[in-house]
Amino acid sequence: MRPLIRDIKGFGALRAIAGLAVIALLFLLPRFVENTYALHIMILIFISIVMGSSWNLLGGYTGQYSVGHCAYFGMGAYTTMMLMQFRQVPPWFGIWGGMVVALLVALIIGSICFRLRGPYFVLASIAVAEIFRVSALNLKEITNGAEGILATEIPPLKIGGTLITDFSSKVPFYYTGLVFVLFVITVTWLLQNSKLGYYFQAIREDQDAAHSLGISLTIYKNVALSISAVLTSLAGSLYAVYVGFIDPSTVLALDLSVQIVLICIIGGIGTIFGPVIGALVLVPLSEALRSNMIGEFLINSGGVKADSAFGSFLTENLSHAHVLIYGILVVVVILFMPDGVLGFVKTLTARKRKEAA
Amino acid sequence: MTIFLQSLISGILVGGVYALIGIGMTIIFGVMRVINFAHGDLLMLGMYGTFYLFTLFNVDPFISIVIIIPIMFLYGGFLQKVFINRILGSLPQNQILLTIGLGLIMSNSVMLAFTSDYKILSTSYSSSSFDILGISISTPLLISFAITAVITAALYWFLLKTDTGQAIRATAQDREAAQLMGINVKRMSIIAFGLGASLAGTAGALISPTYYIFPQVGSTFTLKAFVITVLGGMGSIVGATLGGVLIGVAESIGGVYFGSGWKEVVVFVLFLLALLFKPSGLMGKSNA
Repeated sequence: MRPLIRDIKGFGALRAIAGLAVIALLFLLPRFVENTYALHIMILIFISIVMGSSWNLLGGYTGQYSVGHCAYFGMGAYTTMMLMQFRQVPPWFGIWGGMVVALLVALIIGSICFRLRGPYFVLASIAVAEIFRVSALNLKEITNGAEGILATEIPPLKIGGTLITDFSSKVPFYYTGLVFVLFVITVTWLLQNSKLGYYFQAIREDQDAAHSLGISLTIYKNVALSISAVLTSLAGSLYAVYVGFIDPSTVLALDLSVQIVLICIIGGIGTIFGPVIGALVLVPLSEALRSNMIGEFLINSGGVKADSAFGSFLTENLSHAHVLIYGILVVVVILFMPDGVLGFVKTLTARKRKEAA
Repeated sequence: MTIFLQSLISGILVGGVYALIGIGMTIIFGVMRVINFAHGDLLMLGMYGTFYLFTLFNVDPFISIVIIIPIMFLYGGFLQKVFINRILGSLPQNQILLTIGLGLIMSNSVMLAFTSDYKILSTSYSSSSFDILGISISTPLLISFAITAVITAALYWFLLKTDTGQAIRATAQDREAAQLMGINVKRMSIIAFGLGASLAGTAGALISPTYYIFPQVGSTFTLKAFVITVLGGMGSIVGATLGGVLIGVAESIGGVYFGSGWKEVVVFVLFLLALLFKPSGLMGKSNA
């Protein structure tokens, strides 16, 4: 919310240089890192940042807590995947299709749900997303139902006869994810400093006051939802093509919607870098649990014997419970740092500065 | 016509259990203004409790509610005292997220402890039924409906006639005024959450002979609980009772005429229509 000029001068310039250095590093990373698992984690983090930041535009800036964002993620994933598998449309065109479908869905959902406020809006957003999940499950002729869609082959990307990539490694997905992340963060930054962004924040702070000042609630809530939905569909499309398999219980599930919200809550909502922090905290943690790194570490370090009852319990079960970490984190964050990690750090530093002064 | 009557009756029988779930949710909402997203997970705990009481100690699922009710009451009271009471004044979205987090912890802990395998509790009467005028009625559903009716009646009596019940209703009506009248609202909140949890647990026990038992079973019921409470009017116990039966019937009839895959859509469409045209619910007084 600070004026742009001041950001570029002095301290702001330092920050801008640091930011550019980080971006440059991220672009160079695949040249140094051969480890596919590290790239895999990075791609997952990128996808999480994109979906978190997109939700943040609606939930964080406009104050409309949608717990049905899996609908847009799923629309992106399904449209791209269906176009690729059934119509042989390459994914870099399919993504646009996904965005269009997500936009249409957002307009329909918005016209229904934005008549409601507060907890009623939350419930309605869940209900609509569930309708999409059950429909995807039942429309077997179109979506393959519960079987899901498996990507058999991604066509190689050629521009004018030269091969850009054939998607055989993780690197192209890494760059796509990185570009999406930069795009979404740029959109958030532009919005935060624009008139539109101020409208959004006015609606968040007090929608009746905003309305009486002449901000049309219906229009601007729908604008926020549309932008958010289109960006969320990007994450969905990337996820679908990257993982190569989608079904209603992964890309249209309530769990996914909750995850999207948690990324923002844990990082800090209504801030540009909140979702980034949230994704950086959540993804490695849940991946470490999923791949059972923690269990293996405990056993390898000699803390727990592998053949003991507790050891076998760890190796067999811990990987199933990576969602547990989401639960514990959200409870801790809500009780002890209601403004998220970013807000918590800010209060801490502010307190220190006060003590120093 | 027989098919219609058949699905109507089984809908009403299932609806009784739904009403229990909805009443629990609506009491919690009424007293605390907190939407409990962990409601289905409380129900799931009740299911697991019943399952293990049956397999380990051979306790009949319908008798096990005698044990489930007090345990779930204490557990609910504990949750309220340790977690929910701390966030009563904070943003509604944070309250929602806290209960989502608690639900995730419950379902995933159960998954850790008992794996995510589907469990089936089969009693001698699990699939038995009898015929009246050509309409077959499932025995376990009928028994659970009867128990539901008794519990609901007892609950009405408790809330209407006892001092504690009246204090709970007063807290629900106006928290501050109740506090000024000398009612210990924190304690009422603990009792209310305990009641809600034990109702959810009871519902879990009652459906366990007819349902698959697995750690994620809760989310379906959380969603149903929302639909029921909103349909009935948030905080209205009569409304939740009606809403539960209505949803049971809608599901059953929708399943027959649109195919069982679509019955949930029927419920959600009904829910959205209710939200749009009568957001205060069937029995609701306040405007949303």
